[in-house]
Amino acid sequence: MNALEAYNLKKTYRQRKVVVEAVKDVSLTIAPGEVLAFLGPNGAGKTTSIKMMAGLIRPDGGSVRIVGSDPHRNPAALQKMGAVLEGNRNLYWRLTPEENLAYFGVLKGLNHQEAHKSGMGLLDRFGLMAKRRTPVQQLSRGMQQKLAIAVALVHQPQLLLLDEPTLGLDVEATVDVKVLVREIAASGCAILLTTHQLAIAEELSDRVAIILKGEILAESSTQDLIRQFSGTAYKIEIDAVLDKSRLIALAAIGVDVREGIIWVTKQELLYQVLDILKPLPLQRVEKEAADLTEIFLKLIKEGRSTDV
Amino acid sequence: MFELFLAELRRRWIEFRRYPLEAVGGIFIITAIFYGLFLSARYIAGPGLKLGDRVDSIVIGYVLWSLVLFIVTDVAGSLQLEAQTGTLEQLFLSRYAAIQVFLTRTLASLSLQMVLLTVILLIIMALTGSRLHFPPALILPFVTVLLGAYGIAFAVGSLALLFKRIQQLIGIFQFGLLFLLSTPIESWDGSLQIVGQLLPMAGGAGLLRDLMARGESLNYTKLAIAAVNGFVYFALGLLLFYLAERVAKRRGMLSGY
Repeated sequence: MNALEAYNLKKTYRQRKVVVEAVKDVSLTIAPGEVLAFLGPNGAGKTTSIKMMAGLIRPDGGSVRIVGSDPHRNPAALQKMGAVLEGNRNLYWRLTPEENLAYFGVLKGLNHQEAHKSGMGLLDRFGLMAKRRTPVQQLSRGMQQKLAIAVALVHQPQLLLLDEPTLGLDVEATVDVKVLVREIAASGCAILLTTHQLAIAEELSDRVAIILKGEILAESSTQDLIRQFSGTAYKIEIDAVLDKSRLIALAAIGVDVREGIIWVTKQELLYQVLDILKPLPLQRVEKEAADLTEIFLKLIKEGRSTDV
Repeated sequence: MFELFLAELRRRWIEFRRYPLEAVGGIFIITAIFYGLFLSARYIAGPGLKLGDRVDSIVIGYVLWSLVLFIVTDVAGSLQLEAQTGTLEQLFLSRYAAIQVFLTRTLASLSLQMVLLTVILLIIMALTGSRLHFPPALILPFVTVLLGAYGIAFAVGSLALLFKRIQQLIGIFQFGLLFLLSTPIESWDGSLQIVGQLLPMAGGAGLLRDLMARGESLNYTKLAIAAVNGFVYFALGLLLFYLAERVAKRRGMLSGY
């Protein structure tokens, strides 16, 4: 059974007699242990979609299932989900990490002993044991964020919603959060991740969904998407200066040499080029690959232009 | 639910213990305001002032007002504060319904508040020389006042859920509460008496004055009316809160501040 199933979600707001279609049509599914990066520019409908999936905003149309239960009809469905929402503290600042975990554990349906035990386990796993009795307001931003994730996991949910989990964190804390996300997913928990840091999304996600103006523009496995947008060209760098005869031979088969880099635009020419270069020492042979940032920008640009 | 109540009690106790000045400051302010008003009244009326059991009635009205004001601001204020600090949505992600969470948490705070209120009452009695009766039967009209107070608290809470910033409204509202709890509606006649019985908490407060200030025995007819009144306002408050939650979720307003 999928950890999350959302079909045809729609949400419209009226603001001073103006109708705003925040979400037009969003459908997503996430399997256990899978990380889905949900990407889009500001105002694209990400947060509204996530909050509809979490049961915090009632959709005008469509349906949501968390491990088979509808969070809008059955509050027990929320027991299968944890969430760290962007822009929120998600924690009581006057309480310590240990106290926050125990309190939110009960709120999620555990008894005090279970909540305390699970909380202590998470503090240990997240490297927060030494700070377990320090009020949250005295912790660093990175520690607060790790604690917020721990609180969202205290009842061992099958689905975790992470809205901008690395926003405002320094490099070290960002690395810590990335490691945690990988570990959580490896333990079988499905993760819906939103972030504007596309390198992180590329690194962590199994699948990507890109949303613009309330609609999903693309949804695919991260590697497939990158492959789809990557060219077939190779670039070759050698650890020597090309002599005139080799330059002529390369030009004859239509291969470009710019600033000492050999650009092979057709895949079938690769071995011919390597034959020409033989026995010069190679420094690097690299297939030209798109990154998620380029893909994201390209799709968003196309999406905007088709709307004009 | 009991586990949730204990968790709320634990949370409140930790905050109380960690920030004791807030509670001590509250006791001081509430007591000082009453004593200031009491001294002013005595000064204006002159040395020949004989208040008799009226001072006892005023003490009861004032202490009840402090309690009810605490209950109302506890629900509405914590909603407002949690929307501001960003924990409100986590409460709505709980496996319990929002009404259950807020009702349980306000009951837990009431347990601690009752201790503080007893301290306030004892200080005021010592300062004014008031001698109140504490018959066990007072618990019944007290519960009717609490029911009405919770009804109003959830009604105001529903406004806080939708509009978030309602400090001004609460500021004005406290004078209305003072009227409801201090006005001796038990001395009203004719059709005014019916109006008095319809007002929230006023009947229960009147019964408490009868029992504690005048030393009278419990009037069961008045108690039944006060109980019906309390239950109706309580149910109305919960209904309004439930409807406000639905509207807030429909309009996506839970976290806005």
